[in-house]
Amino acid sequence: MTRSKWLSWSGILIMLGLLLFAFIWHLSIGTKIIPIDELIQSFYAYNQDNFNHLIIQELRLPRALIAICVGACLAVSGALMQGVTRNPLADPGLLGMLTGAALGVVYWSTFVSSASLVWLPLVAAIGALISAIIVWSIASRVTGGITPLSLILSGSAFTAFTGALLAIHHLLDQHTFEEMRTWLVGSLLASNLATLYWCLPWIIIGLVAAIMLAPSVTALSMGEEVATGLGINIPRRKWQLLTCVVILTSVSVALAGPLGFIGLVIPHVVRFWVGADYRWIIPYCILLGAVYLLFVDTLARWLIQPHEIATGLITILIGAPLFIWLVKVRVR
Amino acid sequence: MHFTLRLFNQAISLRINGYALLCSAFLFSLLLATFLFATTQGSYPLSLHDSVMSLLGQQQSVIDPQTDVIIWEFRLPRSLVAILSGALFALSGALLQNMTRNPLSDPSLVGISQGAALAVVTLTILFPNYIDDWREIAAFLGAVSITIVIQLLRGNDHPLKFILLGVGVAAFISAIISSLLTYGDLPSAMAALSWLAGSTHNSNWHDVNMLCMAFILIISLTLYQARMMSVISLGDEVAIGLGINLKAIMLIQLTISVAAAAVATAVVGPLGFIGLLAPHLARKLVRCGPVNHLFLTALVGAILVLAADIIGKNLFAPTQLAAGSVTALIGAPLFAYLLMTKKT
Repeated sequence: MTRSKWLSWSGILIMLGLLLFAFIWHLSIGTKIIPIDELIQSFYAYNQDNFNHLIIQELRLPRALIAICVGACLAVSGALMQGVTRNPLADPGLLGMLTGAALGVVYWSTFVSSASLVWLPLVAAIGALISAIIVWSIASRVTGGITPLSLILSGSAFTAFTGALLAIHHLLDQHTFEEMRTWLVGSLLASNLATLYWCLPWIIIGLVAAIMLAPSVTALSMGEEVATGLGINIPRRKWQLLTCVVILTSVSVALAGPLGFIGLVIPHVVRFWVGADYRWIIPYCILLGAVYLLFVDTLARWLIQPHEIATGLITILIGAPLFIWLVKVRVR
Repeated sequence: MHFTLRLFNQAISLRINGYALLCSAFLFSLLLATFLFATTQGSYPLSLHDSVMSLLGQQQSVIDPQTDVIIWEFRLPRSLVAILSGALFALSGALLQNMTRNPLSDPSLVGISQGAALAVVTLTILFPNYIDDWREIAAFLGAVSITIVIQLLRGNDHPLKFILLGVGVAAFISAIISSLLTYGDLPSAMAALSWLAGSTHNSNWHDVNMLCMAFILIISLTLYQARMMSVISLGDEVAIGLGINLKAIMLIQLTISVAAAAVATAVVGPLGFIGLLAPHLARKLVRCGPVNHLFLTALVGAILVLAADIIGKNLFAPTQLAAGSVTALIGAPLFAYLLMTKKT
């Protein structure tokens, strides 16, 4: 085993430790701080009459699990997009996929049915896919082709359009808006395990596919000529990757609403450590994304007790300055 | 079809395009017609005869006694606010596009509207007692400080970076606004929310006066700057070569543009895409010198916002859509179209 490989594996172990730490922190901190021994006790000796056990198992555990899944999914989809488009600013939120998926979910739960959770990930996926295709085709028609600038601009035009549609919908249908309001800024507040069960298969498919496709993302990130030279069927591989990105994005929207900038922040931090090899970037993104969202969600609950800030707002407040810095440094 | 107007021993000389003049006259009558249409529309429909008579002050020939109150208290200020704010947004966009030599600049895309919005929402939520007197000033200060921040960030880079940085700053500010909205008490949060949607719903005569003064000031300043505009659009080197103090002129024009957007935002809220659309449509109608172009742009902006207001009022009546939503619905696809057809 070479030295760098050894380093990478030990890094994974460190990240796993960090994840465990963040998980426990997330569970124990809140409006009521629960001591760690009682927290661990609630897992092996669950007592229904103990109020602390109830808080952990019924309220905080689902939320923590969802935070882990959503963080991992968004980070990986951001990393894949940045690799494939060779665009340091790619992020599911900036390209309109998050609002597209959110619009799909809002229309679905208004016009078709609000009760069924089965179709929710699929509806979000269709919304995300359609918006990805629209934004992509606008950007590819711009003179100069797909550049960071054209993608961001067409993404922001699309976001403005869907935002207006959402605003109109909100005016016409106050009831759904009340239900959806916290969800629309990106929040883990209303998380329940039933949605997670329906999303879990998709999450596993998406993440496994991402890990399997990672070597060819490395090749694609070096340019299409290199990838062709290495024997990759580019159009087919791109479609596979797009499907993967759409699955991951839409699942996270279905679970937590549009959480901006996670897909931008995490891959850049990861790349800072492990370099440009996507075989390592993807696993690190999964772990760091999970840790990051757990951390942010804990902050969101803890900063102004007994209220809580919507998680999506904090991710934007952290992510937007990084975006500005990237524009400054990485865009020609 | 050109003729030249020379006044005061050629101190002022204007080259006037006849076709553009015709276009302005046409747009002006279109604006007038839309305006009259707007006064008859609403939850209490009035006949055209009544509203015209009431506007002309001929109370004795008005049939419906309600007409005067409805026209003078509600519909007239509302329509005037729509017209004036549309013209201001359009002028701001035209200046900004000319200055950055970038057809995609718009006060709402580069963070000016968001800066004004942040200041006004902060004022509404945290200091609700001062909102009536200080709204315009706060909006202006907010817009100016965000513009300065973006300019400092941009440094000497490519003009297009201005837009990308604006997108980032806008995202950051919207997050702050949303957090403010979540933690303000309910009445002030609702007031801020309806303002944020960009609506002319609560217009009164105070707003009209404010906008009117701002419009007169700004249109005269822009017309005074119009000659410089055409020189600046030729490029930095050429402009300097022609003997223009580029930095000073840029600063003046940026200030005018920010002021126009800020005042309009303070009254109606952040209306998207008007500053982007109006100059383009005006240029599509007729290619002409900067003075004519500015007039046409202001007219087009006024018509657009007024029309958006009418559409928003009637589309899902009795629910009223904010004019801002309508302009975003029309503006965003057009922005995409411009993006696709733009030649670099």
